[in-house]
Amino acid sequence: MGRVDANWWLDFLLAVLRAATPLIFCALGVLACERAGILNIGVEGSMLAGALAAVLGAVLTGDPWFGVGAAIVTGLMAGLVLAGMTAYLPADQIATGIAFNLVSIGITSFVYRLLLDRGVGLMAPSLNWGPAGGWLEPITARLAVIPPLTWLAVILVVVSQVLLFSTGPGLLWRSVGESARAAHAAGLGVLRVRSAALLGGSVLGALGGAALTLGWVPTFVDNMTMGRGFIGLAAVYFGRWRPDLVLFACLLFGAGEALAFRAQAAGAGLNPYYYLMLPYVLTLAAVAVVGMAMGPRDAGKPFVRG
Amino acid sequence: MAMRLARAGDRLRRLVTTRTSITLAGVSLLLSLLAMWVCVYVAGADPYHALTAMFRGAFQSRWALTSTLSEWVAITLSGLAVLIPYRAGFFNVGGQGQLEMGGLAAAVVIIYFDAAPALVMAAALAACVLAGAVTVGLPLLLRLGRGASEVTTTIMVNFAALRLMYAMITGPLQDPGAWYGTTPIVPSALRLQSFPAGSGIPVGLFVAVGLAVGAWWLLNSTVFGLHLRAVGGNRPAAAAAGIPAERVLIKAVLLGAALAGLAGGFQYLGHTFRVAEGWSKTWGLVGIPVALLGGSPLGVLLVGFLFAVLETGSRSMQALTGVPAALVFMFQGLPVIIYLALGAGLRRMGKAADSK
Repeated sequence: MGRVDANWWLDFLLAVLRAATPLIFCALGVLACERAGILNIGVEGSMLAGALAAVLGAVLTGDPWFGVGAAIVTGLMAGLVLAGMTAYLPADQIATGIAFNLVSIGITSFVYRLLLDRGVGLMAPSLNWGPAGGWLEPITARLAVIPPLTWLAVILVVVSQVLLFSTGPGLLWRSVGESARAAHAAGLGVLRVRSAALLGGSVLGALGGAALTLGWVPTFVDNMTMGRGFIGLAAVYFGRWRPDLVLFACLLFGAGEALAFRAQAAGAGLNPYYYLMLPYVLTLAAVAVVGMAMGPRDAGKPFVRG
Repeated sequence: MAMRLARAGDRLRRLVTTRTSITLAGVSLLLSLLAMWVCVYVAGADPYHALTAMFRGAFQSRWALTSTLSEWVAITLSGLAVLIPYRAGFFNVGGQGQLEMGGLAAAVVIIYFDAAPALVMAAALAACVLAGAVTVGLPLLLRLGRGASEVTTTIMVNFAALRLMYAMITGPLQDPGAWYGTTPIVPSALRLQSFPAGSGIPVGLFVAVGLAVGAWWLLNSTVFGLHLRAVGGNRPAAAAAGIPAERVLIKAVLLGAALAGLAGGFQYLGHTFRVAEGWSKTWGLVGIPVALLGGSPLGVLLVGFLFAVLETGSRSMQALTGVPAALVFMFQGLPVIIYLALGAGLRRMGKAADSK
């Protein structure tokens, strides 16, 4: 590890943000669903599909913002499937999620291979702020150090914190996750809330994938998310189902990942894989110490009217 | 009219029983094969040619046959590792981690324990079984003591175990002569041989088949199996009936995880001979769809065979026709989705007919 100075810290902070951004999106996607009583294991699959869709959209149009749009559409489609399966039918949430992830690995790798065979280059332009110009320039230039999707992720954390804990819809949302039966008895559309959560959650997962490809690794490879969706899941448990704490968890886990890369590059010190164990070990420790007291009670339980 | 509808509801509900779930699993697998057919067509290959290449590829050479049968062992044991705890109401998503740790523990014994070959191999097999059971320990404790969903915790343990395995094979257990992360190769004296000698049939296959039959007997014909189902179906009622619910659950979970560990040991000692980057593919994970579609130990054996054939055959399909082998992942997930959707849909229809 070279000299540690101000530049090193700035680089490191940007690396942490880069690694944390996909996690924040995924974690919010899991959180939205858990609060409505759905254990969204499928977030990993949504993320992977979003990652490929973002690359494709960006490469085919030449504009990374279209990549973001493509990821959102893909997320909506994933959400429709998951909502139909786990809210409406309802089929087992965990089995559905695991199967969905497998299908997602299959489809994305298949499509990717077909495109490569047809000579489609898959290097995506990365998503950055364009020059703003005018009198705003001095301010925007400073803000623009942080990439757009990171800003979006942080804004979404604030919005969801306020939405969940300080508004009427947020209260209804949480009540569905706490006790679907009681919420139903009070006249709430449990299935509608759960479907909305899955649609939103899958779009967030897909945006996490877009943040991975458009904001970091500018291309796609087979199963490139490598369990990042599950780190998002870990962040929700570590962050006690609260967006603000979840943001903190994602930054912490992102720092672990950034440190692992640095250790790998330096080729000395602690084995990088120990840093990569961080999210899981910390989350298990948190569950062991604090338990599940703050978790939504009905998460994972199917709801059948009647 | 109401009477007729109620009877229709009854019929539909009865439809969703063991026999139907076997039919449903068959239908789901067939529909998925059909979907694969379409994908192959989209990829620009002749579907018939590609699928026959796949099925032939799984058996055409000695190596392919051994490889298919070894996959079958790992997938069957991983399937049982999900199925047995599932009956008791514990969804073990941690098979992959338990399998990794099983392989790793066996490797530690092989590397550090110096004794007569038979003794070392016995110790390695014992170590992998033990490691599998230990790996599920924390999620089990958290479920019993903290009420934490085992799904999330076993997923966390999976990834922690994977990273630990990587840290070991790029650190203290790394083969000094290798440029990538791997343990040294198992010396040939310490390898599990095929049986009959030279046939290419892994000895683990006989154990796996025996264990599947044993599990079938255990679940269907013993008091323990009855307790297991009672605990999985309605735990308070089981406890009220005097069944030691907690103990039954613990036994089922430890047994399942031990089998996943054994899968890791068998693969390491009998097929891959190394614990290396990506050595375990997704055997443990595939146990989940296999258990869900199989529905019983013998079903696991059957579905496990199909999945093993696809796993080996897809590589030869890719080589011969250029159709991406990644299709296999789709085939592992899609039938489960169809199966769950059909099952839940039937239940829904049964309920709707009931309430009219």
